[in-house]
Amino acid sequence: MKALFLRQSGAGYLLVALLVASLSLMYIELSKPWLNGVRASLATVLSPVYFLADLPTESSDWVGSTFSSHSALQDQVGLLERRVLELSQASQQYLAVREENGRLRALLGSRARLGRDVLVAEIVGVLPGADRHQVMLDKGSSDGIRDGLAVIDEYGMVGQVIETAQSSARVLLVSDLSHALPVQVVRNNLRGIVAGSGRLDELQLDYVPDSADIREGDVLVSSGLAGRFPSGYPVGIVSAVTRGTGEAFAQVQARPSAQLDRSRHVLVLFAAGTAEPGL
Amino acid sequence: MNPGNGGWAILLTLIAALILAVMHLPEWWPQWLGWLRPNWVALTVFFWVLAVPQRFGLVAAWLLGLFVDVLYGEPLGLNGALLAVFTYITWSLYERLRMFGAVQQAILLFFMVLLAEGARMIGLLLLIEREAQFGFFATALASAVVWPVLRVALNQVQLACRVH
Repeated sequence: MKALFLRQSGAGYLLVALLVASLSLMYIELSKPWLNGVRASLATVLSPVYFLADLPTESSDWVGSTFSSHSALQDQVGLLERRVLELSQASQQYLAVREENGRLRALLGSRARLGRDVLVAEIVGVLPGADRHQVMLDKGSSDGIRDGLAVIDEYGMVGQVIETAQSSARVLLVSDLSHALPVQVVRNNLRGIVAGSGRLDELQLDYVPDSADIREGDVLVSSGLAGRFPSGYPVGIVSAVTRGTGEAFAQVQARPSAQLDRSRHVLVLFAAGTAEPGL
Repeated sequence: MNPGNGGWAILLTLIAALILAVMHLPEWWPQWLGWLRPNWVALTVFFWVLAVPQRFGLVAAWLLGLFVDVLYGEPLGLNGALLAVFTYITWSLYERLRMFGAVQQAILLFFMVLLAEGARMIGLLLLIEREAQFGFFATALASAVVWPVLRVALNQVQLACRVH
């Protein structure tokens, strides 16, 4: 182990050797898939770090919920009961609609869309730095999570899995600057691409012609066109449209449907075959 | 970094630094606080190189950097290279740096962290085309501000665990 230490002369050579090693690692990772396993196993080893880093938030949540007052809990129960009623009513309608949809699709001769398998996961880590919109989940490849799966919360699309370790997974949020997904407007099926803006409360709708029929309040859902995201999940609501800026495309901003900065539990959607285009 | 002579204390503080590096604030805290995250790992490495230069080597720093790469989801080797260079610079100056007061060290750390974060951002820009952000000024500033406190805390650890 002596050779590890700088007291030895030749530390400069060691430094150069390490820099070369770093450069080769970076080169290999960019061009070949060989290091995916290395990264995944390192991430598995390091996943306790995320769990430990999450403890303060977790315990403050726990303290908050344990010591919240009786009346506050009663209010919450009342709220949840109302919500269950609303949802069960909606789901009854949904069943009827799904059946009808299946019949119509059968008439049209197209494949019925299957219900999707989902997995409930908890967000255990948020990547540091306000400019990086990634979160860590507490489920990983051992639970069947793979790269590219879509992640939603109860309100809409959260993001996609970009890296999986044994018992954790990294999710890129829809609001990240490097994220984009194909969407369409529910009202008229107008297609577009929603890109992250780098802010948690804003998305951008790109490539919408200046003259397109789009207005504030339009609901955007995933179109499933790229085959990566399932279709029909809410992504955002148009919050501002700016036209006539001299550009070919209008500037359209949207508010994300999912509670990107609030959700604690999310659903990972397992793709059932390839997504079908269109609604 | 062998475990004898309090080496485990070095190890534990480094693990603590990694945890602090990915710790997130409760949701009701203002989001801009996220910009003011010191580079805990670099600060901890700086402390141990000054305190026990013969115990903390380049390979250890490089491996630690690989862990940071994985935690942050950045290209493998990037933070390894940066931490190795950071350690090398600190090590080659350590006899002088030890004579410095906390404030002088803090000012020096501001520039060292600024350089390291700047290099990291350029690396990210070139490798995975992440857009340029200027959060690294805040990181360097926060690192310099917490250094005097962190130095005292780590000094206590060193004395308590008799790391030498």
